[in-house]
Amino acid sequence: MEFPAERTVDARFMEPPQPFVATMEMLDTLQPGEEMLLLLYREPHPLYRVLQQNGHRWQTELQPDGTFAVRITC
Amino acid sequence: MQPKQALLSFDQSPPLSAPLRFFLTAPLFLVLAGLLVAVEGEALFASRWTPAALAATHLLTIGFMLQVMLGALIQILPVLAGANLARPALIAAIVHPGLSLGTLALAGGFLAGSTAWLYGAGLLLAISLLVFIAAAGWAIFRVPSTSPSIRGLKLSLLALAIAGGSGLFMLLALAGGWAVPLPALANLHAGWGLAGWSGILLAAVAYVVVPMFQLTPGYPARPAWWFPVAVVLALVLWSISVLLDADGLARGAQGLLALSGVAFVLQTLKLQSGRRRARADCTFRYWQGGLYASLAALLMLLLDAFLPALSTAPAWPLLFGVLILVGGFLAFIIGMLYKIIPFLLWFNLQHQAAVPGKPVPSMNKLLDDGEMQRQMRTFFAAFALLTAAVFQPDRLALPAGMIFALAGGWLGWNLLQAALRHRRHRLAGTS
Repeated sequence: MEFPAERTVDARFMEPPQPFVATMEMLDTLQPGEEMLLLLYREPHPLYRVLQQNGHRWQTELQPDGTFAVRITC
Repeated sequence: MQPKQALLSFDQSPPLSAPLRFFLTAPLFLVLAGLLVAVEGEALFASRWTPAALAATHLLTIGFMLQVMLGALIQILPVLAGANLARPALIAAIVHPGLSLGTLALAGGFLAGSTAWLYGAGLLLAISLLVFIAAAGWAIFRVPSTSPSIRGLKLSLLALAIAGGSGLFMLLALAGGWAVPLPALANLHAGWGLAGWSGILLAAVAYVVVPMFQLTPGYPARPAWWFPVAVVLALVLWSISVLLDADGLARGAQGLLALSGVAFVLQTLKLQSGRRRARADCTFRYWQGGLYASLAALLMLLLDAFLPALSTAPAWPLLFGVLILVGGFLAFIIGMLYKIIPFLLWFNLQHQAAVPGKPVPSMNKLLDDGEMQRQMRTFFAAFALLTAAVFQPDRLALPAGMIFALAGGWLGWNLLQAALRHRRHRLAGTS
């Protein structure tokens, strides 16, 4: 999944709750319809709940190295 | 806090008491198991079938392991799988006393040879397991298997049902004097309980918590998807081999089981070697110890598949049991408790019981690293002594049991202190 670095949160070596905080901060900078990419080594179910509550769409792909790539539409 | 973060619905988390009650009482069963080893001494090590060995095994597996695992699942099912357990407080209120009293009755029933105690234990454990499996099954089987962890959780729950069902059947057979092949059934029961339930659950949780807590790379996807399936396949083949009395199939299944476990252990060791956290904290060390002890046990299982004469020595199954249970599963579980409990208490203070104007103590302040380190050294000393006691029970059973009871009590004390610090902080805001 190719994505510009400035729209990517690579949270693979971050401790909780940093991935959540960084994702929400990036989402705050996006306009409706714009996309961002979150990379981490687990499926972020608590984040999904918040994305759903806030009306965002997302699509997750598990890559061979164990990275979950979550493409989020603001 | 960003505006959108405020929308994170922390009220979805179960009440703190639901998992905590399991975590705080589970160490008491370690103390009881240690004292039993000390009191029974050499007699306990005569064979895995002695009443004392059976009682001690179940104090560890149900009293400690199952309690912590069920308590943890109540808490982490939403995080791991997006699956919400309905009425978690009610489920905990039924399952926790049922498991605790059921384990005590089971151990008492074995030791006293009491039919009434065994029937009582069966009733309590059956109710607890049925309630938990129904509630967790209802939650987890309704979510799609979008990750290896969710697949693992589903298969481990099925294995728990089989381990529990076979255990209850044997308990009734023992109490009722039915003529059934107890040794073969007991091996299957242990296989479904340790490899199927505990092993797959451990892997399903490890896929998430090892990268998260130890800052390692992630588990590669393909083996992570296949590990739970390979373990269940091996256990199904093993079960069929017992029914058909097919020795070759049994050995093949045992080999597959051992190799699957070895692959998981080696993968985890490799990930740990690539961790980004420089300092080796207590959880990391507990896990390292657990991985090496499990590797030794799995190699014994593999060796036994090809050289079955080895396991006829009485010390063989006892050594395997000490390595996989004490050195392996107990170490993994205590290592995780030392991460989960401070996090849960901190999280609760931060988001659910915040005291205005009073900063929340850090996780380190809630549970001090030095306290954990000292407990860990005692635990591994007890593990080494128990391993040696398999070969020299007359001299070493007493000190091994006492040190193990001390390590269990120390764990309980550390966890209780953390809970009390949490309580003091919370109460300081309400007074």
